Amino acid sequence: MKNRRSTPAPIVGLAVLISQAALAANHREAPITALDHKADITDVYAFVSYGPRQAPNEPPSKVTMILSVDPFLEPANGPTLFPFDPDILYEIKVDNDHDAIADVTFRFRFSSEYQLPTVYTAVAGIGDQGAFQPGTDILVVPPQIRDFNNPGLNLRQTYTVTMVKNGVETPIVNNDGSPFFTVPANAGPRTMDYAALFRAGTYSNLCTTGISVFAGTTDDAFWIDLGAAFDTANFRTLGSGVPGVLTDEEDEPIYVRARNFASDTVSGYGVNSIAIEVPIELLTRTGAIEPPGSPDATIGVWGSTSRPRVTVRRSPNPSQSRGPWRQVQRMGNPLINELLVGIGSKDRFSMDQPANDSQFADFFLDPPIVHIVEALYAGALSVPSAPRLDLLPLVTYAPPIASPDTPPGPIADLLRLNTGVPATPFEQASRLGLIGGDHAGYPNGRRVFDDVTDITLRVGVGGVLIPDFNHFPNNRLGDGVNVNDAEYRTSFPFLADCPNGRNRRHIDPGEPGGGPIQ
Amino acid sequence: MAGIGGTSTRASPAADPSSSHFALVAARRSRGREGILLGEIAMSPMTAAAGILLAFTTSGAIRGAADKGVKASPAEQKIAWAQQAIEKNPSRHQSYNELAMALARRARETSDVSFYAQADAALEKSFQLAPDNLEGEKVRTWVLLGKHEFAKARELARALNKRTPDDVLIYGFLADANIELGSYDEAEEAAQWMLDIRPGNVPGLTRAAYLRELFGDIDGSIELMNSAYQQTQPAETEDRAWILTQIAHLHILTGKLADAEKLLQQALTLFPGYHYALGNLAQVRIAQRQYSKAVELLRQRYEGAPHVENLYALAEALERSGNLGEAKAAYREFERRACKEIAWADNANRELIFYYADHARQPERALRIARLEAGRRRDVHTLDAYAWALYASGRFAEARRQIESALAVGVRDSKLFYRAGAIALKSRDRLAAARYFKQSLDLNPRSESAGVARKALLRLEQQASTRSRAGAHSS
Repeated sequence: MKNRRSTPAPIVGLAVLISQAALAANHREAPITALDHKADITDVYAFVSYGPRQAPNEPPSKVTMILSVDPFLEPANGPTLFPFDPDILYEIKVDNDHDAIADVTFRFRFSSEYQLPTVYTAVAGIGDQGAFQPGTDILVVPPQIRDFNNPGLNLRQTYTVTMVKNGVETPIVNNDGSPFFTVPANAGPRTMDYAALFRAGTYSNLCTTGISVFAGTTDDAFWIDLGAAFDTANFRTLGSGVPGVLTDEEDEPIYVRARNFASDTVSGYGVNSIAIEVPIELLTRTGAIEPPGSPDATIGVWGSTSRPRVTVRRSPNPSQSRGPWRQVQRMGNPLINELLVGIGSKDRFSMDQPANDSQFADFFLDPPIVHIVEALYAGALSVPSAPRLDLLPLVTYAPPIASPDTPPGPIADLLRLNTGVPATPFEQASRLGLIGGDHAGYPNGRRVFDDVTDITLRVGVGGVLIPDFNHFPNNRLGDGVNVNDAEYRTSFPFLADCPNGRNRRHIDPGEPGGGPIQ
Repeated sequence: MAGIGGTSTRASPAADPSSSHFALVAARRSRGREGILLGEIAMSPMTAAAGILLAFTTSGAIRGAADKGVKASPAEQKIAWAQQAIEKNPSRHQSYNELAMALARRARETSDVSFYAQADAALEKSFQLAPDNLEGEKVRTWVLLGKHEFAKARELARALNKRTPDDVLIYGFLADANIELGSYDEAEEAAQWMLDIRPGNVPGLTRAAYLRELFGDIDGSIELMNSAYQQTQPAETEDRAWILTQIAHLHILTGKLADAEKLLQQALTLFPGYHYALGNLAQVRIAQRQYSKAVELLRQRYEGAPHVENLYALAEALERSGNLGEAKAAYREFERRACKEIAWADNANRELIFYYADHARQPERALRIARLEAGRRRDVHTLDAYAWALYASGRFAEARRQIESALAVGVRDSKLFYRAGAIALKSRDRLAAARYFKQSLDLNPRSESAGVARKALLRLEQQASTRSRAGAHSS
């Protein structure tokens, strides 16, 4: 009888958990962003850059930060595809003195133009020469799009990048003065050479700053079994016989060796990504690359989207509001607003500043979801009790991410990154990041291949940062989706190609690579 | 909003969470005297029981009206629906909240405060079924605002905001209460959150519009009110009439009487006999020197909304129309009734201050009441009345401090400018006085104060000219 009562409980418990964690990629996690997809941040990444020939313990030199927005872009969905919104201010912010206030901000603004306004679609192209009206030399369809000057790239977007540091705005410009172009969604192989556009749209080592930038529609780097999560958390039963608990074989930590045991619902979808790679000296308070034991090595990163606002006081009247922009969303860690913040506070959280996050401290240090899970597991899963001081590294500057003498600063949702920790070579990197023994992974920053769903389950609910809780099943919680459906790049911007619209594949349960239906 | 519906500033913005746009700033002055419609109901413990009974009575009356083909107002319809829901399922607390909200909306439609007592009774039932339920607490805040319990409303709204910071309407309550208490920074912050969290929401637009008016941006206020009007459903006739009336009021502030009249006629077509629209149309008539027509409009308003400050406006119009006997009787009745309410939260103290200062020539009484009121709230209009009571009592320096505190908010109102000029003159600051009189005339050359402002300015200019000539002669 006891078994009969306790067996279903973990299923439900994990289900609830995962259904929340499913939102860890921030797809429409708050009411306001559910209404404003263009401004909806899906993920923020920040990590010490690595390369295809990265050596162990190679000294860090640059940090890559990625802001992904506008979830579930189906690349076959023409004709306008998925431009960035020129009305949105996209920002990546960095705190380097532990007060949760931005010291370095990178601002991105987009502009759109139509090269062929009478043509019905945003992109069109075929072959080397294009297609002509029969018997004439009148070009009807432009050649395949291989660069940004091809008129077949009908809807063409450019963008500007501005670094704001100590109140000084510095435009980040292309080496030859030409504009930065965004890479469009991959409509298909006839229309465009997406890889060529991706290369052309990756602006590396810009002179004077050494910064690299990229913006465009890419593969969504996140993965998760969302389908199971939103079927009232009806997760797959894998090798352990307990839904949501992985066996050792299913829990391979090394990313390049791991495989999927459940379907990646995000597979085959694109997302709009903005990436920037910045020399560490431009980010730290001291202007130097700090060793990992230095308090100045650890920075806090977050992204935000903002729209023009109607202000109570009109310009030029003195305004007590916070300027002409209203923040629609912000994100640091991949779990805070989704997993922890109550539904009646999510918009305020999205629109407020990290420095004001103490108002949400109760959510952070005594997450209601953990109590729910504990109850549903009926004792089969022990979880730490509140206050969850083990979660402090996520919301303050604290070990094991920051050095012990780092000022903790206020409670704030920032993605904390110790810039002094060398990147792990990709082939050796653990998808489980810090809890997988890989010090360069989440929650020390976040790489594109860090399995934040499993990490969140284990750290946030299982409490595995506390040695007494680092045992089975707490340290085997997972959804069975362990790798991305597309191959990540191993150099900037580290993202994979947008699936092509003609042949994209959304991997379903029961298919090869999709795990079981049950 | 100063002066909508007369000199009263007893605005009590509120909103209707049951409505799709859960509405606007509400009762600019949603107080009424219950004696006219439903019999005298004191605010007492008995009120609760009586309220429930009245709610049912009202509902029955609405159904009866519907049976006879009389169109029920939006609030009356909501009252009827809520009553039917309660009859079907008396244990559903939300139905009592809906009834309470509908009753509060009816208070605005009719200016009859007895509906607030009924709303309180419905809420009591709701809280018996579900203690501390959020929707009930929100309606309770709305009702507190309607009853002019601004400090209590703010306290409750702050607690609710902490509990549910994403709720747009609660920011509206914070804005309303702070506006009435004169805490404009906090009001602006709350209104800005409304605009940020749900861009374009009607309650946020109307509150921001009111703040713009208070900050002196009349055109900006009209801009937001127009947006609010366009986003309000046509079926919400009272809401639309209310917005039209507010825009008309803004036009009156700058002397655009034809524009104001056009909007007010639209409002009265949408919602016949609408008391706010009648009050504003009377202001238009007064500015046009059509005092008899103003009297008729204010008489009609007073019949529908017989609260005491409406009587004061009627008395003033009667006096202007030359009907001195009736004016005297009206003033006397006004004084008798207003004095009874001095200590109430919902009172006619502002009108009483002006009555004692300008008509009864009892400045010390005006000052006593003004000090009492200023101890409760520090909004622009309370400070204005306080300054005027100080002026009438010969305390010019203090009067100057108070009127300048009011004007520092940014408000642009020809009557305030005129009074600031008169106070500055007595403070022997002729330059400031001339500046204020000029501001009054520039803003609205057809205001009630325009005649006296013009004369005072002319006198100052003549004096300056004389001094200039004398100076030239002596040199």
